[in-house]
Order: sequence, then C-alpha cells, then structure tokens
Amino acid sequence: MKTRARFGVTFRMLAVLVVLGVVAFPLYWMFVTALTGDEALFSGTPQFLPDLSRIGVFADALAQGDVLRWLLNSFIVATGTMVVAIAFGIPLAYALSRFSFAGKFLVALALFFTQMLPEALLVVPLFAIFRETGLLNSLLGLILADAAFVLPVVALILMGAFNGIPREVDEAARVDGARPAGVLFRILVPLITPAIAAGAVIAFFTAWNEYVFAVTFIYDKELQPASVGVAGYIGEQDTSIQTIMAVALIFTLPAVAFYLFAQKYVVAGMTAGAVKG
Amino acid sequence: MSQGIAHRRRRRRSPLGSRWTPYIFLAPAAAYIILFQLVPLVQEIYLSFTKTSLLNPSHSVWVGFDNYVAAFQSDTFQQTLLVTLVYVVVCVLGSVGIGLLVALLLNSRFPGRGIARALVTIPWAAPGIAIALIAVWMLNAQYGVLTRLLTSWGIDVGDSGVLNNPDLALPAILITTIWQLFPFTAVVLLSALQSVPEELVEAAHMDGANRWWSFRVVTWPVIKPTVGLIAVLMAIWSIRRFELIWLMTRGGPLGSTRTLVIDLYSQAFDSKQLGMAAAIGMVGIVISLIIVVGARLITTAAERNS
Repeated sequence: MKTRARFGVTFRMLAVLVVLGVVAFPLYWMFVTALTGDEALFSGTPQFLPDLSRIGVFADALAQGDVLRWLLNSFIVATGTMVVAIAFGIPLAYALSRFSFAGKFLVALALFFTQMLPEALLVVPLFAIFRETGLLNSLLGLILADAAFVLPVVALILMGAFNGIPREVDEAARVDGARPAGVLFRILVPLITPAIAAGAVIAFFTAWNEYVFAVTFIYDKELQPASVGVAGYIGEQDTSIQTIMAVALIFTLPAVAFYLFAQKYVVAGMTAGAVKG
Repeated sequence: MSQGIAHRRRRRRSPLGSRWTPYIFLAPAAAYIILFQLVPLVQEIYLSFTKTSLLNPSHSVWVGFDNYVAAFQSDTFQQTLLVTLVYVVVCVLGSVGIGLLVALLLNSRFPGRGIARALVTIPWAAPGIAIALIAVWMLNAQYGVLTRLLTSWGIDVGDSGVLNNPDLALPAILITTIWQLFPFTAVVLLSALQSVPEELVEAAHMDGANRWWSFRVVTWPVIKPTVGLIAVLMAIWSIRRFELIWLMTRGGPLGSTRTLVIDLYSQAFDSKQLGMAAAIGMVGIVISLIIVVGARLITTAAERNS
C-alpha cells in the first residue's frame, strides 16, 4: 500500500514536470536562441544550453532602434487601459451586485454578449469613428478601444468579488446613514482590493499584449507599441534572430513575471467572475 | 448648515437610496460600452448589407443580402467555414480535455504543488505576438528545433517548412493555440475541483470504488457546470481569435488556416471590401450565438431530465 502511494507521487511529479516542460519550453527556447552565436545557431545540431557569455545581447536589444520607445508606448497604453477599465468597472460591478433594477438581466446579457465580438470586426467602424474624432494615431484612442474590450471581463471579476461580501456588511453602513457611493468607496472597495488588483493586472496585460487595434490605429512609428514592433520582426531579414528573440523576451517577461506574482488574485478573481458570473 | 446636514441625514436613512441609484452607477460604463461596442456593431450590421470600399467608405450602396448570398455560394468561404469549424472544435476539445487532465493532476497531492500551479499559467500570460514569433522560429524550415524534431520522427515537412505546408499548417496552429489556452481551463477547473468534498472521494475509495468510478460519481457532477461554461467560453473565444493565426500564416497556405476572423480582416484591409468583411463577421457572431443558445438549451433540458 505504502509503496503504491510512493510510486503514485513519483509518477505524478514526473507528469507535472512534463507539463511544466511543455509549458515553459518556448520561452526557454527564446532565451537560448537569444544567447546562441550565429555559428552554433545555423549549424546542424540545435544547442539546448544558452551561451551565458553572450548576455550582452539584451543590452544591445534595448539599444536597438525604437525598442525603448515601443516599450514606453506599451506602458502608457496599458496603464491608461487599466485606469479606464477599473474606473468604469467598479461602479458597474457595484450596481450589478447590490441593486435590483429594471433591465439588470439585459445588462448582464450585454456583458456576456461582448465576449462574442471579434476585435477584427469592430476595428473597421472604430477606425471611422476615430478618424472623425481625431483619436486615430493617438495613444488615447488605443486606450479607449482596449479598455472597452476588457471592461466587461473586469466588471465580471469585480462583481464576483462584491457578491462574495455579505450584504449585511454594507446594509449596516447604510442603516448608519452612509450613502451608496460612501458604502462603495469607504467599505466595499477596500474589502475587494485583491479582486481590483486582479482586474487591473488583466486590463494592463490585455492592452500590453493587444495587436489588432494597435496595428490598425497607429501609423506613426513614434507611437507604435511593442506588440506591433515585435510582430514586425516576423519574416524580417535585417535584424539578427538573436536580437529579435531578446526583444521579444524583454516584451514577454514583464507580463509573465507580473502574472506569476499576482496570479493568486487573478485566478481567484477570474474564476469568481467566470464561474459565478 | 447643521439644519442642512440633519435634513440630508434623514434622506440618507432610506436603505436602498432612490430608485435611480443603480442607474447612476451603471450609466458611465453603459454609455462607454454602447459607444465603443454596440454603436460600431450596429454600423457593421448596416455595412454588411452594403457594398462599401475601404478607399471611399462614405460612398456605399445598399445591396440587401447580396454579400451573404455571394459568401455562401463561394468555395473559398465554404472552406473558411470548414476551417473555422475544425479550429473551434479541436480548440475546445483540446483545451478542455488537456485542461481537465492537468487540473486533476494539480489537484492531487505532491511536493511543490503551489509552485507548479503558478508556473502552469505561463502560456496564458505570454503575449500572443511573442508566441507567434517563437512558434515561427521553432518551425523554421531550415533551423527550427521543431522542424528537426519532426524530421527525426520521419515526418517530411517539405522544403518550405510546416507553416507553408497545407496539410501541416492548421495542426501547427491548433497545437500552438491549445498550448496557450489549456492553462486557463486548467486553472478554472482546478478551482472547481477544490469545491469537491474530499470526504466523499475518500468514502468512495473506502467502498472499493476505483478512480474512474469515484470521478464519475463524485467529482464529475460537481465540476460539470464549470466544464460546460468553460467549453462555451473557449468556443466563442476561438471564433474571435486573430493574432496568432494572422501572424503565423495570414490564413495560408491555400486558405488552410483561414478562419472567419482572418477572412474578414483580409476582406476589409487587403480586398478593401468592407461590406463583405462585415457580412463574414456577422456569420461569426451568429455562430457564437448558436453555440451559446444551444449550450443553454442542452443545460436546461439536462436539468429537467435529472
């Protein structure tokens, strides 16, 4: 019995290692490719270990062309998207969680319905709207478009969190004379900080990773975010593959590192939103 | 002054506030979503009934259902529908199936479980653009590590590589997509598994049930609603998915990876046919709606039967 259990644990750990290997290999391969010399890279046998003496490739990558500018643009767009999505998402989630009102079902349905809208479809009319309002080729336009797409997801996450707080908590405050906005910002918002953090992370990295809007709305090279810059490397011949992989890794790592750091909250918020919403 | 406060305090007593209160909280987000999602959607519905060029969008001619008729009569669109169908079905089965297995694995006891649970989410956090880039490199015809692996297995990918091979491009894109999606389903299903009462699983074991039986009788009923929900989400997200396919193959070779969304984007921006692009997009939305409504009907029917 005991040996069987021990074998089970060993077997499970092996299976987990296989899964983690599959999951991490492409990113590891990016890293290895960035740190492999031309000769080894284009020889007959793949090199599975990085040549750490070439670590300077990351500094070179950052010095390359517009890379720093791309990252800054991405950071601005992602931060803006996060602020807009949270600012609009909190009151929406509060209304859906704490009040019953005519049309509530319709609002929830509309939020779910937005999950069916492809970005590639709405890019055309948004392009026209942005051209008329001067939002085309501006980071603000990109922020507004990105936030509109991530707002429903953020709202569902926050709604799940609000639903998890017993109504007695805010009803007590209401009876003491607090107004709905006071209840929301002084009592409920502090209680759901983890979920707000989760929503913020999701909004930030949805915009950080977003490509269709960015490539369509921004035509000024100065304003390109990193997603468009990195995508531009595909099929391109002039930049060395090591530099390309280094830039791609610099673009990827913040997203992955931040998710790993915040993942407890993201998962809790995501599942609360996905399952109960 | 103090009188004013006393007056306001009396009004605040009403526990629910005015009946307009929820709408005040709702209004900003509603206005925002209407402006940036519903208005553009309505414009697309209108466009789908017109012939409109990207080069001169203000000049548009009403053509009724012509775009839809033309689409469904064309062979290329029928191929697009078939590719979309294969893409969606395989993505859902693959991501939910693998996700469930991984969730069960991560729910069992082993040292380092917390770290493993965190690390498994890597693909879901990584940007699609970077994934497309590394996938293209790993599948490079001459130097790609996966190309070498496949060749050593005796699979001939041809001189131009996997992504230029009409038989292999779609499988390659499917595997990449599933790789990116399964961590999300695994994480959601893992949290559903955690609400399965452990005493019940142990009781089933005590009664001599084998693993499969205790899964079917104890675990499955608890996680079934979550599995259904995540499958529907994966289906409608798969129909929407764009950047990975676009950056890896642009729908080629020979249309073998051209899903509805790829088709609509190239109709709009390569062929400049905004009306046709909109019609194709509407077909995608209608398919999503059918999936959602169908899933809902199946769920209610199952509930009624049990």
